[in-house]
Amino acid sequence: MKPLTEIDGAPAPASPVVGIDQTAGNFSYKVDYAFDAGTGLSEDTIRYISSVKKEAPWILEFRLKALKTFWDKPMPTHWATKDLENIDFQKIRYYLSQGQKPKRTWDEVPDDIKKTFERLGIPEQERKFLAGVEAQFDSEAAYSNIKDIVAKQGVIFVNSTEGLREHPEIFKKFFGKVIPTGDNKFSALNSAVFSGGSFIYVPPGVKVAQPLQAYFRINAENFGQFERTLIIADEGSEVVYMEGCTAPKFSTSTLHSAVVELVALKGAKIQYITVQNWANNVFNLVTKRGVAHEDAEIKWIDCNIGSRLTMKYPGVVLKGERARGEVLSIALANDGQHQDTGAKMVHAANNTTSNIIAKSISVGQGRSTYRGVVHIPKHLKGCKNNTECDALLINTNSRTDTYPAISVRGDRNATQHEASVSKVSEDMIFYMQSRGLTEAQAMSLAVNGFINDLARQFPMEYSVELKRLIDLEMEGSVG
Amino acid sequence: MASLTSHSATTVGAFTAEVFAAHLARVQHLPAWWLDRKRTAYARFAALPFPKRTDEGWRFSHLSGLSLDGYQLAAPINHQQVTKQDLGAPGAGTLLLANHQVVYAEPLAAKFAQQGVIFTTLQEALLKHSDLVRPHLLAQPSKLGSEKFVALHEAFLENGAFIYVPRNVTVDLPLGVFHYASGTGTALFPHTLVVAEENAKVTIADFFRSSTGAGAQFACGGNDLYAGHGAQVTYLAMQDWSRETLSFQFNATVARRDTRVLSINLHAGARQARHESFSQLQAPGAHSEMLALTIAHGTQEFDQRTLQIHQAPNTSSNLLYKNALLDQAKTIFSGLIVVDPDAQKTDAYQSNRNLMLSDEAEANSLPGLEIQANDVRCTHGATSARIDAEQEFYLESRGINPTQAQELLVFGFFEEVLGKIENSQLHDSLAEIIREKFKA
Amino acid sequence: MSLLEIKNLHISIGDKAIVKGFNLTIKPGEVHAIMGPNGTGKSTLAKAIAGHPSYTITGGDVILDGKSILAMQPDERARSGLFLAFQYPSEIPGVSIANFLRAAVQARMAEGEELDASGYYKKLYSKMDLLKIDRKFTSRAVNDGFSGGEKKRCEILQMAMLEPHFALMDETDSGLDIDALRIVADGVNTLRSGPLGILLITHYQRLLDYIVPDFVHVMYDGRIVKSGNKSLALELEAKGYDWVKQEFAAANA
Repeated sequence: MKPLTEIDGAPAPASPVVGIDQTAGNFSYKVDYAFDAGTGLSEDTIRYISSVKKEAPWILEFRLKALKTFWDKPMPTHWATKDLENIDFQKIRYYLSQGQKPKRTWDEVPDDIKKTFERLGIPEQERKFLAGVEAQFDSEAAYSNIKDIVAKQGVIFVNSTEGLREHPEIFKKFFGKVIPTGDNKFSALNSAVFSGGSFIYVPPGVKVAQPLQAYFRINAENFGQFERTLIIADEGSEVVYMEGCTAPKFSTSTLHSAVVELVALKGAKIQYITVQNWANNVFNLVTKRGVAHEDAEIKWIDCNIGSRLTMKYPGVVLKGERARGEVLSIALANDGQHQDTGAKMVHAANNTTSNIIAKSISVGQGRSTYRGVVHIPKHLKGCKNNTECDALLINTNSRTDTYPAISVRGDRNATQHEASVSKVSEDMIFYMQSRGLTEAQAMSLAVNGFINDLARQFPMEYSVELKRLIDLEMEGSVG
Repeated sequence: MASLTSHSATTVGAFTAEVFAAHLARVQHLPAWWLDRKRTAYARFAALPFPKRTDEGWRFSHLSGLSLDGYQLAAPINHQQVTKQDLGAPGAGTLLLANHQVVYAEPLAAKFAQQGVIFTTLQEALLKHSDLVRPHLLAQPSKLGSEKFVALHEAFLENGAFIYVPRNVTVDLPLGVFHYASGTGTALFPHTLVVAEENAKVTIADFFRSSTGAGAQFACGGNDLYAGHGAQVTYLAMQDWSRETLSFQFNATVARRDTRVLSINLHAGARQARHESFSQLQAPGAHSEMLALTIAHGTQEFDQRTLQIHQAPNTSSNLLYKNALLDQAKTIFSGLIVVDPDAQKTDAYQSNRNLMLSDEAEANSLPGLEIQANDVRCTHGATSARIDAEQEFYLESRGINPTQAQELLVFGFFEEVLGKIENSQLHDSLAEIIREKFKA
Repeated sequence: MSLLEIKNLHISIGDKAIVKGFNLTIKPGEVHAIMGPNGTGKSTLAKAIAGHPSYTITGGDVILDGKSILAMQPDERARSGLFLAFQYPSEIPGVSIANFLRAAVQARMAEGEELDASGYYKKLYSKMDLLKIDRKFTSRAVNDGFSGGEKKRCEILQMAMLEPHFALMDETDSGLDIDALRIVADGVNTLRSGPLGILLITHYQRLLDYIVPDFVHVMYDGRIVKSGNKSLALELEAKGYDWVKQEFAAANA
């Protein structure tokens, strides 16, 4: 057994939000990688990834085509932040792993990797309340397992590498259909270099009682993680998927660019929950979209606390009649962070409904941005959208932006959008102080109250986790 | 000037360097500083590219409808062709410009003239009151996407109206300005400049109309509203160009300390109409109210872009844009509230309401906020819906027939904007025009 | 022994002097009513004593149990035993009454000491029963969307839970109809039996029919101009405030 070397990440800057634990993931152990695609991006990088994964020729072809699309597409800086220009694609390592086959028991996971997940509490959570766990370490899943009882129902829960190899007939049918390669520059990049992520198939009528969870861990410096997740809920089935992520903080930037595709067939329900707590040197540029067929429901619960820049707008294409789409999002932007998040609802059938509730908190010089698209095309009827965006600004120099776009055709649909910006009022703070709470406690209560109605929508275990994360201690940030 | 002719026809359309030279020849008696600015503006217009599909400021716009081909400069017209236009209310003066020429005027009432109020054509103002015109005429930046067309407006601006109200003077009756475009293919560049000095108060009604059967025209107009310390300016615009016209209207409002600027824009005409409205709240106590009401018929497109910039603490703005959409009409509302880092205690509101009256109509709404101060109250809302069925039922249950009930509710929808016109006669007359436009 | 002494207190908002030399001592168990016309500084007095940042104390002192509280933060004052029942209580969306009160009770405990949850709820429910408040009330967000009467009852519930030594009740009767007023007054009277000292600020005599004061003071132009017992309140009710103003004007002439 190799000796374990602990490497502490770069010290996190003094944060005005002391209670937020961005440092929980700020550690790393030295790991020897058996597979390394080296630094920089070229066709060779892609051939390397494809060959170590022993992929079918069509996948390599798909990847190479995507690389070309990626190079051809400009950075979307005509609407997005110029900070994107600071990503140097030739300084990133695109593939690092110890092997391509995940272990089915924690005992088999090599110590140097297992230790990380133990420190993050993943095996413990699995025992307590999860139906299955996939733990990705840099480019590949180190561990992937599903409880027998769930597997016996015919549920498939493997990583995308295995999914492609063992279930190509299902995978190929849906892969890249919800989010085409050329959807945006980063979906193209992911399509070229993707590795890891989950592949889930829930057979008709099966309701998975406990959540399935994926945990994404970045360990190496200058690394890019590009997982690819595909979830298919067959007719009348139900599944809850949760993902968490952390990385040690490095002084150089890290890139995380995932593509997540969901397909909810007739009457199916998918709930996808994210608690994103990347270190604040991570560029988190993620494309997430689902297709909801007749009477199906897709609900994104998206919580962004970490990263340097997050650009993520989970979407639902409401393809079948009476389909429902929902995005509930919470963003917290601290000093040096820009949470550029939102939602996209494309109505494509009659009587479809969508609901977006976005709450953001900007602290210090943090910046939170909401971007939304709601599209109701011609000749539809009975479609409804409701959008609410509320921003809370804690300090005088905090910033928030709201950029929705709502297109409606015809007189048989209805949309409403409301947004507000507020601060925690001095009177509210005084009121709470006059009951004996300190200014910091009062601020913490007010901020938690601001997101409370959304936080309640999280499953119990995550809601507790979230409360802990946003248990703001506002010492020094009360202005 | 030779270099300018090299631009392709698609970039400058009918407005070639030769046409610009012909225009300059018509205004060569105006001050040199102004002619210099026009030359610079023309060069800028010719050099700037056409809007592209990826330009954020042109999202959802019908770009191929913006072609500048096939227009010519307004020709002098026969006075008899123009019927006297009616303000619909007793006024302090009227000015009727047809193809840039004054064809009718009711001079400013003597009691106002005696107090130093100026109400004249822009050409005369450039000649006689250059010092009052120069600091305010097209002095604000173009920030909403139409830099090219604003430059075109400046280059070809030939005439318009100038209103100056000195310190502490109240003009308690409205001033009426009529811009009239005659002849098929006519390109018109109207402009209204309002300068209200400290504690002045004034109301202007600005009308834009085409001659009967005029066909396609090109109207590229603007207005500058300057409200000095404590001033109150009410500006009403009624855009009623021919239904084949391509129209641009650019507004720039500057609100100084403790001002109240109310701008009400009524849109009924044009094939494709782009309206950009830009309010700068520059000093504490400034308040700008930006209202618009659009009746969109047929295949008309109304493209409205607004910007409320709060540059000082304790400023407020309130925007309400209402659209009633019929047939295959399309509207775009894109608004942005910007609160600068120092502008604490800003109170800004922005609302876009689309009343969908047809299954073929399309409403696009992009209400935006950029907030960099925390002690503010900023909200925006956007809704698109048909007439409320409950309200309809309520009216019908009182014995009103469905057609009438609908009409009542639609007029009720308009009234939220029209009701802000304080002068009741002006209100009634504009409400009547709007109702007729709606029924047409 | 617990004592609240207000000594020659001067309070300003910005440059404007509002309270100009206010003197009053409250002993445990006493109810003092402060009456007076609008704009005379009654609410300013209550908020400034509680430590509201908009008010500046320009002179005098407020002494609680022998110690000046003027240098204390509002929360320290509260933890020292002071309670302000607000005229216009703040709405706190998303924070339930139960959680809010729990945080306030916890704040009064020593560092490291943990609140006993079952004991807390037992106490909360018994106080609610005492004040005839429905149990469902505790899951609502503090004052959020409450009626005037509900807000005032929420104030009294907090007072009951936090067990202050001295309560400053600012226009507790404003905006209440007779039924709501009776419920609130019953609540206050229930708490009155102990050592609690109360400063009752009101514009109208009618509250004093329900909460009978030991002392009545008339405040005008920032200070007490007349003191007496319950009968003074009745006199004011009958004659209005004009005679106070005239007397004051005559005295200052």
